[in-house]
Amino acid sequence: MTNFLDTATHWIEGQPDAAERRTMLDEFATTGIPKTTDEVWRYAPLEYFNLDQYVVDAPFLDHSGDALENSIATLGAVVVRTHNGVLQGVEGQLNGVTVETTQHAGSITGYEDDSFVVMNGALTPGTIELTVTPGRDIRETIVILHTVTAGAAFPRLKISIGKSASARVIEIWSGGLDSLVVPVSEYHLDENSSLNLATYQRLDLSAWYVSRTTTTLGRDARMHQSVIGMGAAYDRARNDAVFQGTGAQNELWTTYLGRGTQVHDLRSHQLHNTGRTASRLLSKGAVAEESRSIYTGLIEIERGARRTDARQTNHNLLLSPHAHADTVPNLDIRENDVTCAHASSVGPLDELQRWYLESRGVSRHDAERLMIQGFFNEMLDVLPRDVASVIEADIASQLDGVVVV
Amino acid sequence: MSELVITDLHCNVGDKEILRGVNLTVRSGEVHVIMGPNGCGKSTLAHALTGRPGYTVTGGSVTLDGVELLGLAPSERTRAGLFLALQHPMEVPGVRPVDMLVAAGAKRNEVEATMALEAVNVGLRPELLERFVNVDLSGGERKRAEVVQLGVLKPAFAVLDEIDSGLDVDALGAVARRLELATKEWGLGVLAITHFRRLLQELTPDVIHVMSAGRVVAEGGPELAEVLERDGYEPFKESP
Repeated sequence: MTNFLDTATHWIEGQPDAAERRTMLDEFATTGIPKTTDEVWRYAPLEYFNLDQYVVDAPFLDHSGDALENSIATLGAVVVRTHNGVLQGVEGQLNGVTVETTQHAGSITGYEDDSFVVMNGALTPGTIELTVTPGRDIRETIVILHTVTAGAAFPRLKISIGKSASARVIEIWSGGLDSLVVPVSEYHLDENSSLNLATYQRLDLSAWYVSRTTTTLGRDARMHQSVIGMGAAYDRARNDAVFQGTGAQNELWTTYLGRGTQVHDLRSHQLHNTGRTASRLLSKGAVAEESRSIYTGLIEIERGARRTDARQTNHNLLLSPHAHADTVPNLDIRENDVTCAHASSVGPLDELQRWYLESRGVSRHDAERLMIQGFFNEMLDVLPRDVASVIEADIASQLDGVVVV
Repeated sequence: MSELVITDLHCNVGDKEILRGVNLTVRSGEVHVIMGPNGCGKSTLAHALTGRPGYTVTGGSVTLDGVELLGLAPSERTRAGLFLALQHPMEVPGVRPVDMLVAAGAKRNEVEATMALEAVNVGLRPELLERFVNVDLSGGERKRAEVVQLGVLKPAFAVLDEIDSGLDVDALGAVARRLELATKEWGLGVLAITHFRRLLQELTPDVIHVMSAGRVVAEGGPELAEVLERDGYEPFKESP
């Protein structure tokens, strides 16, 4: 790790809270990267991970934004731009929405066993905080455009939705050539608030993207989180939720398309601490060529969390005999009065659905393209139509090169 | 004038022979109706014509204006002019009807307006066609959506597999009138599979074919439907 640790240590020495950061970095250096013997890293391609190929504090490269970023930016009432995790600017404003940044090390409380989060805590340039004040019903879309251009990036984001407030946020990840991107995001939903959040990861296929998000839900809070993974050599999205108040609901929809030798790695832990809470996990994706996917979802229900309703579904499309999908739904239930369900499937495109399209006059190639695109369209259906259309078109352009065998 | 000619068509489902030599000819603007008892092979005929997986044609020929369809992919058969409206139209989650129809050859700049017009013609709320293909539609709405697709694609021939089942009386009338109009508008040739005479009150048949045990065993004019309603299929029954 010499190259990485040397540049990390050098960068930390210039920070005002260097001592705190140094402690975390030492902790990371001692622990090292995770092992696949750990259940939450099982199946991950860590044998190909070479931390030393990345440097910390690489100079920013120019990034003018492509068609998708420019189109999405026009649809946001507020547009937040970040570069390698550093807030670059905020365009537009909405009454009740603030965006600020703090330049401190990141907290790792609750994440001590996740060495990538520890790494993020030591090396993040600061936390970008988006706050919606209580009672504000924000109907417009808030867009966050994340750009990564070089080296290793450790972005931190915190979204706080005040009591009885609501918001809709779209996050886009772009760039990432030969980069390591380790974002840590926390979403706090106060009592009776709601957040509709979509994250579209479209990094360069050389990037390693190791993300972790945690949603905490207060009483009667409602979260809808869509996570779309198209880019990166390794696309890891761990999306957890902690239910702190009764009546809270969390919907997590994840989807991905694997090409080449990509690995999409989706993890989730839904921790139902209180009763009358509901979680819905839906993961649908497709793996083509020699790509593979991993899904592990853990639903944990504490004693006393009565009338919890937790369900998870994972469907994987295999588009090539060389593609592979691992799916492991887990339930850990310590209460009797609950409803839980899980379902998973791995298989090729539905033959009869394809024939139905063909019987309309759609060629087999186009039918398959429509069906794969359909996986994403379903997931994007919760977004505003104008935003969904832009993302759908971006995904469609990437589907053209996908071969179904 | 186009011509759909089915000659000595044999088809297996699994190891079982269902069609045992079907012969039929439909010309532009004609309405042919196939009636017959459950299990006689009516739907198998529809699926064999359109290349549904699991249906193996073991003999015979189907030509459209002299072009053999049986060697073509399902989409090529449709593009050649043969459209199937299914008895149970399938859901295709995530795929929008407009994208499906554009991929099927409809013009993108015209398709939405045409869909809306066709939807009104069959009493279907146009906004239902903004949903993914057949998702969250009732059985009757799906049938009407099939006729909307037909109106957009304007095929030379349509095979309608129990298009009337699941439709209420008003919807049935609207669908029948639309089909009748299509026979005059662009000379649509219709091969309709049905159990009920009600469809034929506004979609006037030229020929009624009675199927039994995988074969056409009787043919006649519209009066044959009355005979079937009075006497049932027993007098026409053939042993497989």
